[in-house]
Amino acid sequence: MPQAMRELTFAEAIREALAIALEADERVVLMGEDIGVYGGAFQVTGDLVERFGENRVIDTPISELAGAGVAVGAALTGTRPVYEFQFSDFSMLAMEQIVNQAAKIRYMLGGAVHVPVVFRMPTGSGLGGAAQHSQSLEAWFAHVPGLKVIEPSTPHDVKGMLLSAIADPDPVIVFEHKLLYKVKGPVPEGDYRVALDKAALRREGRDLTIVATGIMTHRALEAAAILAGEGVEAEIVDLRCLRPFDGETIVASVKKTTRLLAVYEGVKTLGLGAEVSARVAESEAIDYLDAPILRLGGVEAPIPYSPVLEKAAVPQVEDIVAAARSLAQGRA
Amino acid sequence: MAKEVVLPRVDMDMATGKMGRWFVAEGERVREGQLLFEIATDKAAMEVEAPASGLLRGVRAKAGDELPVGAVVGWIVGEDEEFDPDMQALAGELRALLAPSASRAEAPARPAPPASSIAPDERGRASPLARRLARERGLDLAEIAGSGPNGRVQARDVEFREPPAGAEPQRAGAGETRLNRAWLQTGEGAPLVFLHGFGADLNGWRPLVRHLPTPRPAFAVDLPGHGGSPLVGEGSLSALVALTREALAEEGIDAAHLVGHSLGAAVAAALAAEAGFRALSLMLIAPAGLGPEINWAFLAGFLRARSAASLTPWMRLLAVDPASLGAGLVETALRQREEGGLLEAQTRLARALFPDGVQAFGVRHLLADPAIPTKIVVGAEDEIIPSRQCEGLSGRIAIHRFAGVGHMPHLEAQREVARLIEELARAGG
Repeated sequence: MPQAMRELTFAEAIREALAIALEADERVVLMGEDIGVYGGAFQVTGDLVERFGENRVIDTPISELAGAGVAVGAALTGTRPVYEFQFSDFSMLAMEQIVNQAAKIRYMLGGAVHVPVVFRMPTGSGLGGAAQHSQSLEAWFAHVPGLKVIEPSTPHDVKGMLLSAIADPDPVIVFEHKLLYKVKGPVPEGDYRVALDKAALRREGRDLTIVATGIMTHRALEAAAILAGEGVEAEIVDLRCLRPFDGETIVASVKKTTRLLAVYEGVKTLGLGAEVSARVAESEAIDYLDAPILRLGGVEAPIPYSPVLEKAAVPQVEDIVAAARSLAQGRA
Repeated sequence: MAKEVVLPRVDMDMATGKMGRWFVAEGERVREGQLLFEIATDKAAMEVEAPASGLLRGVRAKAGDELPVGAVVGWIVGEDEEFDPDMQALAGELRALLAPSASRAEAPARPAPPASSIAPDERGRASPLARRLARERGLDLAEIAGSGPNGRVQARDVEFREPPAGAEPQRAGAGETRLNRAWLQTGEGAPLVFLHGFGADLNGWRPLVRHLPTPRPAFAVDLPGHGGSPLVGEGSLSALVALTREALAEEGIDAAHLVGHSLGAAVAAALAAEAGFRALSLMLIAPAGLGPEINWAFLAGFLRARSAASLTPWMRLLAVDPASLGAGLVETALRQREEGGLLEAQTRLARALFPDGVQAFGVRHLLADPAIPTKIVVGAEDEIIPSRQCEGLSGRIAIHRFAGVGHMPHLEAQREVARLIEELARAGG
């Protein structure tokens, strides 16, 4: 009988991926504010500075623009930096380096150089961080050619995708939902890779397709369990990769289920759900739709500090259940 | 009662039509199916047949008149029937007022429909899937009550409705030579093409298609003189093959798994042997064309029967358990008896194909050395075509003989035949 796979938290899986990369490739360095002795704002890097030393796990000054700029420059000169933002919100300070430099240098130099940098971005609401520490800005970055953008939802995926990202020759943005850091799941030992361009089917169902990402994948799965009790079988597609965007998996699923619900935490208008629905609307799946496409996204407002309002500002399990129910029952 | 003669829709985009010449003058006697008048369209002149037998009266349109589709151009009345054209016109308009959803063709006062086949108000009230299903099944969305918000028609409102009589979207008008056809199912890979038997139509395949284990695209045509197809060509096997091939070519099908029943099986076998068409596999169900005998009493009785009472005893011969035929087949046969022309067309076809009660065509020689995977399915209890006719062919042809099954294995043993079709399609690649 095969042994049950060991379980790690999402944060431990990231730390293990970083350790494997540091061990295997001396070009890999970690950079970021308080990632050394303090162990990172969310204790993700933990004891890595003790294991690999201050030359491999580098505390940078309180300037995201400087830190990200150093990381991009280091990547250009042959190292493989992994830069951690304390909060993805702070990446606003470093947009020049990410969007104008990292994403474009290879293109503008005709492919003569690569920028193998990874930016890790703790994202999302749920911890009382208020308006400047709780945003979901995935769509901003996913809009930029030259970047790869991923948002893993399980410990298994974050380890395998982070290892793929570090090995990738081009800049990769990794969104890590803060509420996932303590979520446990099976994680294989050693080095393995998960592709950066393929969505994952998390649950099969016949009645509707729910496309979700990050923490919303977990909420969608919880909702699907409740819906199953009512006889509604939801199929769950975990988007996982935002650029490149895997439209094929969504189209195939919608052709089977005939209904589509997109769930994402970012602000609803012009967010991930717009791309999800457009991919279906532009494809042959349009002739399979038996109901309007629905989007559940964040409200059109900054994330509030009040815990009650914070919860109300982004889709929760009961919101997904209600939307999916009305879709599947032909009332949407 | 006087029968209205209307300007029919002969083209999907047609909103109005221009009257051409009359072949019959006011007061003359006509037979049902006889050429009555012409419609001049942009492309060609279309001939319109008389919808009933009697005297042509009250002609109210002349050559060159531009009229909306459905406009009444005259009446056919009984020999000694009282007739006042003004009263008839008034009655028609009253009927149209009282029943606004009555069929377009009988509502003279109804304004011409817009050029598109879907009216703008229908667009908003049916889901894309429901629209596709309705299109494939020849259903009019306007006549379906929607169960969704604001009455939106959803797939579940369409799914279990069988197409109404004569409502196939590509139903041929007079003078039209295209065969009626429909995609019964969409899916991946090379399509299955279904060819029905004598007296049936493409809808007869729907129960079987539902049992196919994998969703392959499934396409079917109505053979000439059947379902929504006019009787064209001289009624020979080669004419049936040529017209079927034309329909497939128009759909862009140049390679397919062929599935035929009875007369359709002979068409399939002959089509498979045609140069330039790529048959991937061949499934012949209770095939015709393998021997001379056929149950002539059945054919004659079937063609003579005009009511459920006279038809039912003959239909019972088709299957060991007549319940397995479902209501659909008898309804189709009865519907054909209500529609002008179809039964006559089939009678003409039967005379050409089965003169003196003999299968005058043969496909045995085409099955002597099959190049593609081929199966024959017969019912041991077949009372229409003796099942022993499938003996003596190439040893490479698999014979599946079902005990307790008659002439309709695809309905009597749906699951098993569906599985065999799947097996064969896999073998055919």
